[in-house]
Amino acid sequence: MLSLNRLRIALSARAALHPNRPVCAPKAGSRPAHSLPNRDAWHRKVTAKAPGEERGLTWCTGPGLRTFCTSRVQQGCWNCWNCNLPLGQTPAFFCRSCKVVQPPEEGASYFHIMDCDYTFTLDTQKLQTRYLQLQRSLHPDNFSQKSEKEQEYSESQSALVNKAYKTLRKPLSRGLYMLELEGMGIEEGTDSGADAEFLMELMEINEALDEAQTLEEANKIAQDTKGKLADLTEQTDAALRKGELQTAKALLAQMKYQANIEEKVKEKLSQLM
Amino acid sequence: MAAVSFRKSAASLLLCRGRLPGAGSLCSYHKKVVDHYENPRNVGSLDKNSRNVGTGLVGAPACGDVMKLQIQVDEHGKIVDAKFKTFGCGSAIASSSLATEWVKGKSVDEALKIKNTDIAKELCLPPVKLHCSMLAEDAIKAALSDYRIKQRDEKK
Repeated sequence: MLSLNRLRIALSARAALHPNRPVCAPKAGSRPAHSLPNRDAWHRKVTAKAPGEERGLTWCTGPGLRTFCTSRVQQGCWNCWNCNLPLGQTPAFFCRSCKVVQPPEEGASYFHIMDCDYTFTLDTQKLQTRYLQLQRSLHPDNFSQKSEKEQEYSESQSALVNKAYKTLRKPLSRGLYMLELEGMGIEEGTDSGADAEFLMELMEINEALDEAQTLEEANKIAQDTKGKLADLTEQTDAALRKGELQTAKALLAQMKYQANIEEKVKEKLSQLM
Repeated sequence: MAAVSFRKSAASLLLCRGRLPGAGSLCSYHKKVVDHYENPRNVGSLDKNSRNVGTGLVGAPACGDVMKLQIQVDEHGKIVDAKFKTFGCGSAIASSSLATEWVKGKSVDEALKIKNTDIAKELCLPPVKLHCSMLAEDAIKAALSDYRIKQRDEKK
């Protein structure tokens, strides 16, 4: 398995090489189930243009761009469903020629969609800017006077962007998503890896929170939890940088427990206030 | 997300209802789950240092739930008391509440035979909540194993 670290370096190198091109997400093979190429995409590819004519692959074969020509990206080299001209970039939300909204590119990772580097410590400011910018143009409200197909595409694009943003915004969901892309999602079931001491500590924090009577007590737990989450985020980043996926997985599981406590603290605080 | 403690049960739980994970509202829970959730049986703690008490502590990393289940065994090897504390969703609370009801009065060997599928069936848990019943089964097993280890160590 390609380590995350190597992947990150490879991707950022590509990003540096082509600053205007969105960087394609992780390798094939360990993609989540939803990322299989859809029939629609295949259909468009096949019926796009007669052989010999350009099929939207021109940008893929340019000098220095050869590295992009994985099958994934070629799938991305689609033509506009409306005017049939090549979209020329991926992910393409709109056709550059006829300006019509495009269907979502199946299999594009959330990092790719949100134009973020494939790294755990992503620039959340940039993520938010990109989110707002995309939603401004993709929101279904903008398409109420457009064709049914355009409305449908804007709805699915907008929903996808929402999902991508939500997933990447918080370190926990972002980390879990990165593990999922690596084919290492956290399984349901009992935590055999967690040690008794850690579980006991969680139990005690939960009990203390449950019994907390004052804002002060609840705030103390809130601060402690916040600190632990920050710590765990840092450790997870270090593990992912080193490509230590198992360690990252264990750390993210701990983060999940702490995040649950954080949620409960918020509820408690609102009750006490 | 909800929490059960022996001090507060229904009152604090009611406030948490709307935010139960995996369900928009409590309506999607079976009435047996709701019953255990609103009137949890055997919430509390036993003395974990007592030689007759076995403590099982388990967690589910995917949902972040933690569950503690304790059993007290008499000299004839019969489980005379059971307590639990679960910090998790309604199904996890109901599963552990039911588990404490079921182990009481059973022998250690009989209690080992309780399967998560029985708990899930009794509570009519949907497939997405099956892991909550697994957590309860594992908690029983962990408690029984803790008890056995204590007994064995004592004989030495």
